[in-house]
Amino acid sequence: MKRLLQLAPLALAIAASSASAQSTEDTLARMQQQLDSMQQQVNTAKNDRVRFNGFFSTGVAKSSNDAGFDGITEKTSVADLSLFALQGTFDVSDKSQAVFQLVGRGAEDWDPVVEWAYLSYRPINNLQLRAGKMRLPLFMYSDSLEVGYSQPWARPPQSVYGPISIKSYVGADATYTMNLDNSAVTGQLFTGFTDEEGTTGPSELRNVFGTTLSWTDYVWTARAIVGTAQVNIDIDLNQDGVHEYALSDGERALFLGLGLGYDDGIWQVISEVTRAKIDGEFADTDSAYVSVGRRFGSVTPYAVIGWIESTDNDDRTFLGPALNTRRDEYSIGARWDITPGVAIKGDVTHVTGFENAAGGLDAAYVLPAGKNSTNVYTLKLDSAF
Amino acid sequence: MKKLSLMFAASLLVSPLALADVVVIGHSAGPDSITENQVRDLYLNRSNELPDGQKATTFEMASGDAVRAQFHDKITGRNDAQLKAFWSKQVFTGRGQPPAEVNNAAAMKARVSSTPGSIGYIDEADVDSSVKVIFTP
Repeated sequence: MKRLLQLAPLALAIAASSASAQSTEDTLARMQQQLDSMQQQVNTAKNDRVRFNGFFSTGVAKSSNDAGFDGITEKTSVADLSLFALQGTFDVSDKSQAVFQLVGRGAEDWDPVVEWAYLSYRPINNLQLRAGKMRLPLFMYSDSLEVGYSQPWARPPQSVYGPISIKSYVGADATYTMNLDNSAVTGQLFTGFTDEEGTTGPSELRNVFGTTLSWTDYVWTARAIVGTAQVNIDIDLNQDGVHEYALSDGERALFLGLGLGYDDGIWQVISEVTRAKIDGEFADTDSAYVSVGRRFGSVTPYAVIGWIESTDNDDRTFLGPALNTRRDEYSIGARWDITPGVAIKGDVTHVTGFENAAGGLDAAYVLPAGKNSTNVYTLKLDSAF
Repeated sequence: MKKLSLMFAASLLVSPLALADVVVIGHSAGPDSITENQVRDLYLNRSNELPDGQKATTFEMASGDAVRAQFHDKITGRNDAQLKAFWSKQVFTGRGQPPAEVNNAAAMKARVSSTPGSIGYIDEADVDSSVKVIFTP
């Protein structure tokens, strides 16, 4: 009935104007023209040449002692887990885009840092070339490292994601995707350099070369990476910029990683195994994790087991014992999708098995205090918009 | 009795609850048909090409829309929260942007009919000559 009522004025108008067939046609033509121009205006206004997206995280975390797992101590403040990021995507032409991402972190007094600033170009549909500042693609979640909303966990498993503090590089990459019947293979080559403040002091990668290869049928995902770089890592013993000691001085480093994922919409299983080898005093490590999650509507509980071990304990002399690393991580948590774009996560992580070393954590606390474990409790809010 | 059943039929026509089937529509110069897998690949950022090789532009109804829910239930198997999570990962890994959203069937038809290479979806009852149906799930 409603529809009939809505149509009534139109019918009346048509009836009124149909004094002659000629004027009806004129009216229709005029209406069509008006409609066309309105459509054009709508499309112009909706021109999507520039788009902005953002993500935001905040949360509280507390540790049972000051071992410093993921930098969290007994008195970590809310701002330490908080970050706000803005991403801009500009269509330069049909085939090229300029992308930037600015991230402000509470732990860094919200000083905005450029994590991405690159130009991408697609000469053909399946090939993407990029140049600029990008994420170092060491892990499955490297590209969305800080986008908590896109991850199942409160934090990426630290056994694998923790040891390498360098997250971004300046350089170029080429990515080729081959679409098969209901699956896809992607190969990527990347090269570049970095200069970042690491966790121990200034660290630098030069002559970075690497390749990743991944395959997915959109339920299973497999990924492999091989990367190499010349590494300079200085450790700032007194944190005063004076007593710097080179843990690695232009030595070549090798990074190997394998990843496997399964996601059928209900179960989500993720596992990564990595090996990092650096000549010199810096610890070589093997690490791995397995994560299993299951979706119950909007709630996804998960459990993660992680492990890291240094493999060159006998080869290091000067700072050897302090960098000897061994630890096990057990996490239980849940993600609750409150509404599209917002998720809350709770997580309890038990870290243990240091075996008389610092477990790759804060040696200045762990060794004198004789600790062999730490518990970390996290409540986090992640959003993307 | 006849009158009653007529009124019942009429009320079905105007009731927003009486949802007919969703159909996939395309620009008039685009391909005449497309497979379910091709539609899914376009809406999940796995492909950006129409079967005839044209660059594809996809349009979505706004989040919360009943036709949108029906479309994704049939084609991608993802709900709004899962789509949001999926696209946030695509956006923040630099892989792509979600389809532009429109608010109603008229706007969907207007965008699709005026954008070469575009596809969208509407309720079968809203189909008119401005667009063509290229797939019925």
